[in-house]
Amino acid sequence: MKNQKKGVHPNPGAKPKQDSFLKQLAKKKPLGLVGLIILLAFLFIAIFADLIAPYPMTDGVMQTSILSKLQGPSPAHLLGTDNLGRDVLSYLIYGARTSAILGICCTLLSVAISVIIGTLSAVIGGWFDLVVQRIVDAFQCIPSMLILLILMSMLGNGVPQLVFAMSVPGGITGSRMMRSAAISVKDSGYVKNAALLGGGTMWKTFKHVIPNILPLIITNAASSLGGVILMEASLNFLGYGVDPGTPSWGYMITNQGKANMFVMPMLAVYPGICIGLMVFGATMFGDAVRDLLDPRLKGGVGTYNANKLKKIAQKMSIKYHYTEPENKAQAKVG
Amino acid sequence: MGKYFVKRVLLLIPTILLVCIIVFALMRMIPMDAVATLQQKLSANGNYVDEEYVKSLLGLDRPAVEQFFVWIGNVFKGDLGSSYFDHVTVNSILAKKLPATLELGILSLIITNLISIPLGLFCAARQDSISDYTIRVISTILIALPVFWVATLVLIYPNLWWGWAPKVTYVPIWEHPLENLAMFLPPAILSAIGQAGIQMRTIRTMTLEVMRQDYIRTAWAKGVPERRVLFKYAFRNSMIPIITMIGGSVAMMIGGNVVMENIFNIPGLGQAMVAALNTRDYPIVQGCVLVLSLFVMCINLLVDLAYKWIDPRVSLE
Repeated sequence: MKNQKKGVHPNPGAKPKQDSFLKQLAKKKPLGLVGLIILLAFLFIAIFADLIAPYPMTDGVMQTSILSKLQGPSPAHLLGTDNLGRDVLSYLIYGARTSAILGICCTLLSVAISVIIGTLSAVIGGWFDLVVQRIVDAFQCIPSMLILLILMSMLGNGVPQLVFAMSVPGGITGSRMMRSAAISVKDSGYVKNAALLGGGTMWKTFKHVIPNILPLIITNAASSLGGVILMEASLNFLGYGVDPGTPSWGYMITNQGKANMFVMPMLAVYPGICIGLMVFGATMFGDAVRDLLDPRLKGGVGTYNANKLKKIAQKMSIKYHYTEPENKAQAKVG
Repeated sequence: MGKYFVKRVLLLIPTILLVCIIVFALMRMIPMDAVATLQQKLSANGNYVDEEYVKSLLGLDRPAVEQFFVWIGNVFKGDLGSSYFDHVTVNSILAKKLPATLELGILSLIITNLISIPLGLFCAARQDSISDYTIRVISTILIALPVFWVATLVLIYPNLWWGWAPKVTYVPIWEHPLENLAMFLPPAILSAIGQAGIQMRTIRTMTLEVMRQDYIRTAWAKGVPERRVLFKYAFRNSMIPIITMIGGSVAMMIGGNVVMENIFNIPGLGQAMVAALNTRDYPIVQGCVLVLSLFVMCINLLVDLAYKWIDPRVSLE
C-alpha cells in the first residue's frame, strides 16, 4: 500500500478506496465543481427569484412603466430598463427561472422517454424491436431543427409546449444509445436468471436492466442540459418559443435586445452572457460527470505521455531516450 | 460488402416511407391549414376567399389518406408537387436553394475539422496540462455562447466601430467566387466554432480512451516515440467514434443552419422551409424535409461504410 501513495508502482491487486461523488469531483475535476457551483447558483436564483428580484412579479406579470423605458443603469434600476420599462435585472432573474424549468423538465422527460423506449425495445426484442427501431431511424434522419419548428408551429408558443417539442424527438433519437447499452446488459446471467425465476418483461427492465445502465443515463442527462438551454434560445430567435409575457433570456435577446440594438446594445448583451454562463456550467459539470462515471475512462495508471515518462524516468534515475531510432528496420519492429 | 450495401439501401426504403408519414401527419396536425392562413391574410384587407372552392382546387378537400397516397405516388416518380401559392414546383425551389445550404454546410464542416482534430489530439497527448485546460475552457466557452447571439453581435458591433459589415447579398459561387466566399465565410466560421468545440472534446475523450489500452502501454514500454504512438497507434483506433461524430456534424450542419441562414440572409432551404411553414405551404415543407432527411440517410450510410475502411476488424454483416 505504501507504494501506491508514491504513485510509481501501484499495487495491481489493491482497489483504491472510493470517495463520495462530491469529493471525487473536487479532487479530480475542479472544473466540474466550478460548473456545479454555477448551476447551483442559477438554481438558487431561480427558486428564490421572488425574494431576490428588486422588482418582483405581481400575479405572474412583470411591472412595466412606459415612462421609464430604456433607461441606463441607475441606483433604482441597477442594469437599466427595457423597452417596456421593466427592470432588466429582475427580468434576467426571472429568466433564470424559465431556463431552469425548461432545462430540468426537458432533460428529465427526454431521458425518461429514451430509457423506456430503448430498454423495452432491447428487452422485448423481435418484431417490436424491429418496428420501433425503424421509427427511431426515421426520427434520426429528420434534421432536429426542422422537426422542432414543425412541432412548435403545431403546438403554439409557451413553456409546456417547448418542453414537449424539445424532449419528445430528442428522447426518441436518444433511445438508440440506451438500447445498445441495454442489449449488452440483457444477456448477462442475472437478467436470464430473473427470467428463469418467472420475472416478466417489466420486472426484467425496471429491476435489472435500468439500474445497470444507470451511469449512462446520468451521464446522458447531465450532458444534455446545456443543449436544451441553447435550443430554447435559438427557437426564441426564430419566433417559436415562450409567450411574450414569460421572461426568457432567448426571448430578450431577440425582442428587447435586437430591436433596440443601436439605442441600448446592452439589452442584448446581458441575456447572452447569462445563457453562456449557464451552458458553460452545465457543459463543464456534464463532462466531469461523464469522466467520473464512464468505466472506459477509469484507471489513469495506464496513460502516459512524453512528459510523464520523462518524470518517471527522472524519479527512477534512468536516462530516458526520446529520439527516433536511426535504424529503420528497428523502427518497424517497434 | 456488396451484399451489405444492398441490404442497407433496401432498409432505407421503410425509413423514407416513415419520414414521409411523420412529416405528412405532423403538417396536417398544425392548427389552421393553408386556406385558413390565406383567408386570415386576405381578410386583413377586407377580401375573402371561397374556402370550399380553394380547397377543392388544391385537393385539400379529399381525405388525408388519399392526399398522402397521391403525394407519395408523385414523390416516387420524382415529382415533389408544387407550391400552393406561387406557380413554382418544389423541385425548382430545391434546385435554387439547395446549393447555398450545401455550400454553407460544407464550408463549416471543413473549418470544424481543421480546428477540432489537431486540437483534440493535442489535448489528449497533453492530458491535464495547462494548455489542455486552457483549450478546453476556451472551447467550452465557445460551445456555451449562443451562436445566433454572437452572429448578431458580429453584424452590429464591427459596423458601429469600424463601419465594416459582413456581406448579406447572395451571389452564386459560379458568378463571383470571391464575393460569394466573403459572404459565406463569416456564417461558416461562426457555426463551425461551436461545433468544433463539441467535436474537439469528443476526439480528446476518445483518444484518451484508446491511450489507456494495453497495446499503447506496450508501445510506450518498447520506447516507441510519442509521435508514432499518437498517430499510428492511438489516432487510427480512435477514428471510429470520431467518424460517427463527423457524420453527426454533417447532419446538423445541413439541417440545422436555419438560424445562420436567417441572420446572414442566405437563400437556403432552411429559410425557404420556415417561410413555407408560416404560410402552411405543405408541399414545400414536406419536400424540404424529405430531401434533407435523404441527405442525412446517405451520410449515415457512408459513415457505416467508412468504419470498414478504417478498421478492417469491423464486420459489417
